[in-house]
Amino acid sequence: MRRSGKINFLAQGDKYRIYILFVVIFGFMSIFAPKFFSVFNFTTILNAIAMNATVAIGFTVVMICGQLDLSIGTVITFAGCLTLGLQPLLGFPGSIAVAVLGGALVGFLNGILVAKAKINSFIVTLGTMTILQGAIYQYSGGNSISVTTDEAFAISDFLQVSLLPLLTPRILITLILVVAVEFMLRRTRAGRNFYIVGGNRNTAWLAGINTDRYLIGAFVLSSVMAAIGGVVSVLVSTAATLKLGEISLMYVISATIIGGTAMSGGKGGVLRSVIAILSLEMLYTGIILFGLGNEVKIFFAGLILAYVVLYEAYATYRHEKNLGQRPELMKELATRLSTKEKKLLGSRGA
Amino acid sequence: MKKLAFIALAIALAAFVAVPLIGQTAAQKANLAASLKIDTSKLLSADNQLLLAPSTDNRKVPKRPADPNKLPETDPLHWYDMEWAGWNVKPTNIPKSPMTGAIGKKVIFIVHGDHPWTTACILGAQKVADAYQMEFKALSPNWDKVVQDQMIDQAIAEKPDMILLIPLDAKGAVQQARKINQAKIPLHLFNMLPDAAALNYSLGWTGPDDFGQFRLLARAWADELRKRNPGAKSIGVAYVQHAPGGSPFFARSFGPISELAGYAKEIKTLVAASPTPATFDANTTMQLVSDWITKYGDDLKGICASDDSAQALGIFEALEKAGRNDIVVVAAGNSKQGMDLVKDGKLFGITYQTAEGDGALSVQYAADWFNGKKLAVRQNLAQHIITAEDVEGFYPPQW
Repeated sequence: MRRSGKINFLAQGDKYRIYILFVVIFGFMSIFAPKFFSVFNFTTILNAIAMNATVAIGFTVVMICGQLDLSIGTVITFAGCLTLGLQPLLGFPGSIAVAVLGGALVGFLNGILVAKAKINSFIVTLGTMTILQGAIYQYSGGNSISVTTDEAFAISDFLQVSLLPLLTPRILITLILVVAVEFMLRRTRAGRNFYIVGGNRNTAWLAGINTDRYLIGAFVLSSVMAAIGGVVSVLVSTAATLKLGEISLMYVISATIIGGTAMSGGKGGVLRSVIAILSLEMLYTGIILFGLGNEVKIFFAGLILAYVVLYEAYATYRHEKNLGQRPELMKELATRLSTKEKKLLGSRGA
Repeated sequence: MKKLAFIALAIALAAFVAVPLIGQTAAQKANLAASLKIDTSKLLSADNQLLLAPSTDNRKVPKRPADPNKLPETDPLHWYDMEWAGWNVKPTNIPKSPMTGAIGKKVIFIVHGDHPWTTACILGAQKVADAYQMEFKALSPNWDKVVQDQMIDQAIAEKPDMILLIPLDAKGAVQQARKINQAKIPLHLFNMLPDAAALNYSLGWTGPDDFGQFRLLARAWADELRKRNPGAKSIGVAYVQHAPGGSPFFARSFGPISELAGYAKEIKTLVAASPTPATFDANTTMQLVSDWITKYGDDLKGICASDDSAQALGIFEALEKAGRNDIVVVAAGNSKQGMDLVKDGKLFGITYQTAEGDGALSVQYAADWFNGKKLAVRQNLAQHIITAEDVEGFYPPQW
């Protein structure tokens, strides 16, 4: 009974881990970090996570499929550079469309190479990342790209204006995308199929799921989300720097793992990844408000990641240990069997 | 009786409103007077130089060409909008000095990233801030512009008396400056020269005149190259560039290139490149320079580096491996490694670029503004080229 309760508690803890982390960080910072608990600060935090949260949506779906997409950082920069670089030629609607379609094309190529050519996604996306980096430097001539027209400033101002407390159009875009993809994953057959493909590709195929289509779809979604993240980010800052998405890759990977999406696939969720990003951002903001340096920020981020990785390792060990054991069945048997049979079972080590 | 009571009440009310105002003004006046008495001109940096040495540059600002981009890159005026940025600003919504004194003011100092240079810069800024008893808060986004944008938002939320900012990206600085300006918080930019439009929203800019320093360095370098290659009709040189994107990328290569096009026409640029993927890595620079030595052989007579620490160490590693001691190397300075290399007779010259002075000058600018002093839109740091002749005077190094 105690064992079963412990397993249940651990399972619940595992399920709600990221929400517990969120509450702990939020509570701690609200009480102790100076000026943390304010509408302006929360709006700043939400604005700050908008880009990485958007990118994490697609990246989580790729990880649910049991794959990795290392090209997200460069797709952010690529889309950002195209948005501002092509603006004088095509105007904002045209350049944004080209940037997002360009992202989709990168994702499609990644997906084709992973699904059809059966190349490891780590290798494929590492290659895409490097090629794109070179292309971006070639395109920009090593310079940042900016548009400082009145129209650009008007768009930037609009994206940052508070529609409601805590809600700017920039945050709203991310929120809509999170809700839409989370709904698709949880409530539609197509969404659930991503989990089946990630859980076991062969089983998914045997169940009649077109696994290649889902893999390609996941990579396209990942790149499109990265492109949208890049586009919105440069529209706000009116400048695309060549390092725009450089740090996002590690940040999004860490947050997705902390959020509980398994690297082996078949498990996780977009909302959890976004909550993880929000938790990390609150932690970083709190650290800054305490007046502490980057070294402290990096230390705590590493500490949380290390805890999650160790916890995952323990969960895997526990899962394997419990494989084949059915405590509920044993409990039922114990109530039905005769004393003699119980003794017999006991002597066999059951 | 009623009339008297009414008059008494009116006087009491007027006194109630006016006395605090008069008192506040008096306090502010006293604060201003006390602030103006503070003398920071004798403060020293770690290298025993004056922390706020006055600029020695007395060049006149030339007239802007109609379209600088149409001029060749070897023409100094091609770089007009970068080199002389700040002199032709269109002030937008710039607040007037409150003239209430610098003492007790809160300034938020946002740098670009963690680096020994930055540590020295913050130290210099802190020295001046302490002298004026300012509330001083330094923030570092660790080289990430997205984080710097976020820090600007947080700084705005704290409503300081002024924000001092090293923009991480010249073009990205425009929107950053505009945002602070819209929040009605005085802004001062320093160190990295932003896109000229950013200066419209800033009280001013202080920092090293990278172009000016490198023009000065280029002349000293050219003199030495001529001395070592007497009568040569062509002297080949190479440039190890800064990270692409910022003003040093252009100033530290195209500054000397355009200067030498007029001053020493026989000096020819063979190649200019930034070490990739790591701009400030000795090993990457060593590989880059080794390739140049292989390609250009004895035609390569001089190298100009954007950094006197990692880049310079990589250059000398490559030169030693190739057995070349005839190449004249100069660099942007002045780190400990750079100064040691000058002292050892390896580096011919480095620019004196005081990190502490850079931070200090920006806070001094803020203090002068609070004190109501009339300020130039742009103030450059003092310029000097350190060579083996005077390097001893700059020890111990700031970083």
